[in-house]
Amino acid sequence: MSTLKTRYTLTQSQKMMIFVLSMSLYGLSNMFTELIPSVQLGPIELSVEYFAFIPLTLCMLFHPLYAAVGAAVGEVIFGELMLGQFGGLGELEKFITFSLAMYIAGRMVSDPKNRRQVGIAAISGVAIHQFCSSVIDIAKVWVGVEELEAVQGLAESIVIIEGVGFLNDVLFSGILFALLPTMYLVPRLYGKIEPLLGMKPRERNMQYASGSKSWLSPKLLGGAVLLALIAMGAELLSESGWSIGEFELPGAESHEGLLIWISMLAAAVVAAAVIAVVLRKASRRRQEAGQLDG
Amino acid sequence: MVEAVKRALGKISVEHIKLELLGTAYNSSSTFLGRLDPRMLLIWYLFFAITPWFVYNRTILLGMFIFMVVTTVLSKVSPYIVFILCLGLVSQIGWMFLLSLFFGGGAESLLPMLTLTLKLSVISLASITVFSSLDPERLSDGLSALGVPDAFAFSLSYGYRILPTLLEEFHQILLSFRLRGQRPAKHGFLYLRTAAYYLRILVLVFYPLMLNTAKRSRTTVEALETRGYTYAVNNPKVKKLRLSYLAMQRRDWLFVAFSAVYISLLFPLGASFPNLLY
Repeated sequence: MSTLKTRYTLTQSQKMMIFVLSMSLYGLSNMFTELIPSVQLGPIELSVEYFAFIPLTLCMLFHPLYAAVGAAVGEVIFGELMLGQFGGLGELEKFITFSLAMYIAGRMVSDPKNRRQVGIAAISGVAIHQFCSSVIDIAKVWVGVEELEAVQGLAESIVIIEGVGFLNDVLFSGILFALLPTMYLVPRLYGKIEPLLGMKPRERNMQYASGSKSWLSPKLLGGAVLLALIAMGAELLSESGWSIGEFELPGAESHEGLLIWISMLAAAVVAAAVIAVVLRKASRRRQEAGQLDG
Repeated sequence: MVEAVKRALGKISVEHIKLELLGTAYNSSSTFLGRLDPRMLLIWYLFFAITPWFVYNRTILLGMFIFMVVTTVLSKVSPYIVFILCLGLVSQIGWMFLLSLFFGGGAESLLPMLTLTLKLSVISLASITVFSSLDPERLSDGLSALGVPDAFAFSLSYGYRILPTLLEEFHQILLSFRLRGQRPAKHGFLYLRTAAYYLRILVLVFYPLMLNTAKRSRTTVEALETRGYTYAVNNPKVKKLRLSYLAMQRRDWLFVAFSAVYISLLFPLGASFPNLLY
């Protein structure tokens, strides 16, 4: 018995419970933080960005994957869709960065009773999330503004605005609404909240039963980073590609348009292929499950 | 400054917030766009959310913008949301402009940023149009027909169902904290003490709320499982039956055809008059 390494396994309904819990709690808090007014000091904004302590606490106490994804879904539903300010595709990037950061923070904690570990994980979770979203915001302006280099000082000003925002979010709302409450809540809730969901508390150095089956395996993460790099490279290439096209066929407006359409078509084909593969996989899995059941 | 903070604090009462939230969340009206097929609307939205990023021609962007304004008017979006959107766009672009002036740019740096504003407003208007005119049930059905995981569709309906209960419970715990606690005697500099007091309570409330919600989510999942939720989610036949009412009708085809014709006319127009705007 002792040679077997105990793994933290959950049943399907326990995963669902964690998901629902995290979704409703973080969603509710998100509705409030959307309404709390922010104090503007020039370009610096002191605001309660979000109650990050809720997903952080849940990620440290339960399986981080379901808690993180649940919190991100809760944010989209309660904070955006219900208040009528859903940003569409823009929310996708928030969704991915937020759940990734919370998941990493949850994985960093091996012993929920160790306050130092909890604190370090909490603040780094917020820092990862804010860093990713600042980088994405900067990239958005660089893609959206055509003659970025031509405009004096635009690039610098974006970086400064985003940098100040990053520092504010990490130092102000990160410490007040992520670090301190998480350090207060995690040791206090540990051992109390788990029985309410019908599961045992996480024990020290317990491993997660993730393995290769889970969709958030290290391989996939590496793949995602690689894909993002390829996408950025493609963006840069397409910028230079347009100028080549112009050089070869001077003044041909339609060719530029054609090139844009070709690149968009290629992107659409790649996206469609990926979606098709994913869908087919899902349907195969579903059919297997259906056969298993009846 | 002090007055502004005072006024803002005066407005925050939990009862007020509760009413506002419930009003926004459950205020779904039947509009022209709301009756269209949700799958078609979502794909239509995808087009207008992605294309503007790759278009630098101002005439085309302006044409898209006009189209979006028309659809926004058609979907009867509340003026409050439009106001928030405009404020966000103006303040973001304004700060960038001021800082780029500081780094030695001039008025000419305004023009490329105007293009960016145009793009961003096309995209946000498209999302507001689609997501505020679809009611939650049609939205979740449309998403699940397009292959979004069913957990999301479930969460959407669950969120609408559970929100009043959660708010009620939150309010009660908050009141009990206030009954047992003591407000700071003085408001302090810029009402900082009072604000800190309320923010601290706001965080502390989540401790009992977490335990209560844990109990409730267990009950929810158990109720789901007794009704065969997991089986229904994993079975393609059930899904097909559930989504069978979605069908493309004449008005859907008309809407698609009109959008396609409009956009395909816009591109040659933009190519021949690239500098119509400025």
